[in-house]
Amino acid sequence: MRERFLTGYNDFVLPFVCGMLFVIIYCLAGMIRIIMQLPVQDRKKFFLSLITPKTLIKDIKDIFLKCLIHVDLWKRNKLLGYMHSSIAFGWFMLIVVGHIEVILYTSNLGAKALYYPIFFRYFVAETESTMRGSLIFFLMDFFLLVVLSGIVLAIIKRVRSRLFGMRRTTNPSFLDLVGLYSLWSIFPLRLLAESFTADISGGSFLTKSLNYVFTEFLSNHANMLPAWWAYSCALGIFFFVLPFTRYMHIPTEILLIPLRNAGIRIVNARKGLAKAQVYACPSCGVCIDACPMGVQKGNIKDTTVYLNRQIKRNNETRIEEISDKCLLCGKCTAVCPVGVEGDKLRIAQRSIRKYSYSPDYSNIDVAAEINACNNFVSGDNNNVSSIENKKVLYFAGCMTALTPAIRKTTVSILSKAGISYSMMDKDGGICCGRPIFMAGRFDQAKQLVEKNTEIIMNSGADILLLTCPICYKIFREKYTLPGIEIIHHTEFIERLISSGRIKISKDTTRYVFHDPCELGRGCGVYEQPRKVLASAGNLVEAAKNRQESICCGGSLGSLTLGFDKRRAMTENALANLVSDDPDRIVTACPLCLDTFARYSDRPVEDISQVIDRVSVPADKKRNDN
Amino acid sequence: MKENIVIIGGGIAGLEAAAQLLDLGYKPIIIEKNDHLGGHVADWNKLFPDMTPANDVVSSLVARAADANIFLNTEISFVNRLNDSYNIMLSNGISIITRIILLATGFSLFDASRKEEYGYGVYDQVITNKDLEHWFNTGDDPRIGDCAMNAVGFVHCVGSRDEKARNSQCSKVCCITAVKQAIELKQMFPESMVYCFYMDLRMFGKKFEDFYISAQRDYGIRFIRGRVSEVSENIDGRVIVKAEDTLSGKPVKVTLDLLVLMAGMVCSPDSTKVANMTSLPLDSDGFLKSRDNIADIIDSPREGIFYAGACTGPKTVPETLAEARAASLKIHLYIKGLEK
Amino acid sequence: MDFGFRISPSSAVNLDNVDLEKFEELHRIEPDVYKCMACGSCSATCPAARFSGMSLRKVILALQRGKEKEALAMMKNCMLCGKCTMVCPRGINTRHLILSICRIYKEETK
Repeated sequence: MRERFLTGYNDFVLPFVCGMLFVIIYCLAGMIRIIMQLPVQDRKKFFLSLITPKTLIKDIKDIFLKCLIHVDLWKRNKLLGYMHSSIAFGWFMLIVVGHIEVILYTSNLGAKALYYPIFFRYFVAETESTMRGSLIFFLMDFFLLVVLSGIVLAIIKRVRSRLFGMRRTTNPSFLDLVGLYSLWSIFPLRLLAESFTADISGGSFLTKSLNYVFTEFLSNHANMLPAWWAYSCALGIFFFVLPFTRYMHIPTEILLIPLRNAGIRIVNARKGLAKAQVYACPSCGVCIDACPMGVQKGNIKDTTVYLNRQIKRNNETRIEEISDKCLLCGKCTAVCPVGVEGDKLRIAQRSIRKYSYSPDYSNIDVAAEINACNNFVSGDNNNVSSIENKKVLYFAGCMTALTPAIRKTTVSILSKAGISYSMMDKDGGICCGRPIFMAGRFDQAKQLVEKNTEIIMNSGADILLLTCPICYKIFREKYTLPGIEIIHHTEFIERLISSGRIKISKDTTRYVFHDPCELGRGCGVYEQPRKVLASAGNLVEAAKNRQESICCGGSLGSLTLGFDKRRAMTENALANLVSDDPDRIVTACPLCLDTFARYSDRPVEDISQVIDRVSVPADKKRNDN
Repeated sequence: MKENIVIIGGGIAGLEAAAQLLDLGYKPIIIEKNDHLGGHVADWNKLFPDMTPANDVVSSLVARAADANIFLNTEISFVNRLNDSYNIMLSNGISIITRIILLATGFSLFDASRKEEYGYGVYDQVITNKDLEHWFNTGDDPRIGDCAMNAVGFVHCVGSRDEKARNSQCSKVCCITAVKQAIELKQMFPESMVYCFYMDLRMFGKKFEDFYISAQRDYGIRFIRGRVSEVSENIDGRVIVKAEDTLSGKPVKVTLDLLVLMAGMVCSPDSTKVANMTSLPLDSDGFLKSRDNIADIIDSPREGIFYAGACTGPKTVPETLAEARAASLKIHLYIKGLEK
Repeated sequence: MDFGFRISPSSAVNLDNVDLEKFEELHRIEPDVYKCMACGSCSATCPAARFSGMSLRKVILALQRGKEKEALAMMKNCMLCGKCTMVCPRGINTRHLILSICRIYKEETK
């Protein structure tokens, strides 16, 4: 090993050093700002999570798997996954091995530590004849090749994104393009620069070979310095533009992962976690294909990736348009590789809107409501009523009032199962609060939650049964009802079947189950409805199901989408459901039922209608045994 | 005369047109998918405004059209466009070459179960206007008459003037039909209270207003201006209807023994099917598009294809018959033009 | 001067004196507000009707007649549940209409 220059310095390192210092300072300041913006409680929680071994290990594991390996993208598409992990992981390994090399071969670094690991070949000639030396040379060339292969794929992706499983990609902004081209040029320039020095400082299969092949050009040392300058400049430009481009997601994601693991939620629409999510958005555009509104071209610019861009630009008009249009189906959140919560981010934007008039529910007297729902009747199946006498309070909800079939069949099932039940909102109740919560009016939602809590706690029920996933979600998340189990009818029917309280006669009807957004992605209930349907007939799956299920288009989440604008979305969702040619479409949400029934070419039913049709009260004899 | 004239649809429009064409010396062919002629009118009991038995109208039409070539239980399999004529393949295997097609495919009754909030098919005591006429005809319906008929309600505009039902136009005849049926029910159950829930009453035809006045004055039928929004069921199986009495500005709730939904007229899927085969356009209201909605309502945009009756929009019986006559004259003149 | 009696204020709406500036603003944002045919479906289905006499049909009418106070009083218990959007035969986006009213109109301070 020998130092080629006594000073160990050349002016060409300046662009890189300045860029790197700039980006490090910028990111540190940004990180401190975001952490300071967190509410005190959350900040405490965050710091605690960093010193708790369990979360800390999870943080490190997540950062490694998500930021470097990009496991989520691998699951989506192998080529897309390889492209990202080859660049991220390859670059990371270049940096790691570069540092190891510097530590192994030099001492007394001082300020040189800033740039030596990057431009080592220029300054130091190392021996490649030892095992250790040649291994390091090999590793450096190998990872450079890995990164270069990723860059080639990235270039191909810009032209033919379909190969990577993406129908549509994001429209890059000007600075994004600057960042993109500088990133692309870094590694070829590095290869070029290192090829110049390969005959002096050593190299391996890539750099050395290149040096031999183009010996005429590469041995001319007059060309050497410009190549190293170009390499340094590419790095410098990339670092300088990084905070203003989508590449900001690289440092931000490292912060977002521990924040998320600490269990922090979005409180402020623009600060703290929301800000971290906005900047963690890599503009990859996975959410564009996922968005159910994407069937109409005009809605593409209203997807989460563009919301993040507009928030960065503080374009209030567009932020409002984008946040109000969204159906809040949560699919972008489900598919986002970095964990941007598109739905929650939008609700937060809605919550900062200024209203000059606000509803107030303090005048609502709940005494009458309590009286009305404290009216339990027992089902007509006396054979099983002795098994368990938990009292079920059935809250049908506003939407179910408009789909009486669900209410009637649910009550019929309860009756067959011999359950003691009472209707909470037979004559119209108080809204669960989810619709107004989705409009961002949290104070009003809270008031409704309090009113309903009072009614339910005084009803004497043990179980609160819901047939509407919209209600179910807010009941699970925002209500505290000690001693009362909150259950959706898909789960309840599954329980009734598996405990033998109702008997199903199976036939050969082919059913497909549509996962309602609020039940599936919203509450994670996927298995029970499928189990129930499989017991009634043949269950087939939609082309996209569970996490990837497509919103029916009827969602209350969207504030601005008018009735006529939703048709294309519903038809697209229906086309997805009938891909395996089912006889009947089954859902578990009154709103999905209403929306699908309007345009479907085959019967659409709620799961309760199916089960009521095929079930009978459990056998007397069996219970006597 | 050898000219083939194919009339698609053996309802009153098709029958009237056939009868007229027979008188003019032609031998038209009627293609009817059902096993009987007369279409929707054959299912009806009495017709407004003079309470004419529907059966009289239909049987006289059938008698007049008896000499036509009539194919019952027959559908159109496909239509090929030839140089100056059409080749129509029927489901019974017969193919007809013709230069003239008269579309008298009529309308479909809106499927009331699609207005889920009204509970048709869910609640026993909710029926449609067609079910009621069927009962008038046959007396065979367990939902009517077995229970006490203390209170009966009629809901106007079910599947009409309703963008949610994908049918935004007025079906024209439901208002007067509801008044007619309300009177008939009241005559049978004089003690019962009969309500009509309407959005707007459109009493446009001859003597319709007299009918309305009579319903109010002579039969005491209660008209409530408000669209029913929700129907629920109480324990004894009666239905509870919620609406707003928009004139008093107060919500109203009433318990009924029977609720009759006035299902509206929508374009028949058969019309759409034939329109697809012959590449005829649909108008923005979902019905077949005429060459001109004022001057040429019975002319299709295609040469040799004519319309009669409700395939171009909701119509009353006299309007349909008048159109059928006009269409047959038009066809006659058209053939004369071809022979020149 | 008080003679112990006065002419009671007329309950008639004088359209000449109605200030429709705010309604025009509402109409700009919600063109569909004029699509209402006053069928009353929204009012009949409304869960808030039982508590504050909410009737969106009447609210729209009252705002057009300059009776803002009356309209806003009805809106007090609106829960934005969306039932009115579902039943409206004209497909009016009633939820957004209500939110727009909340943004444009202001309750008079007592």
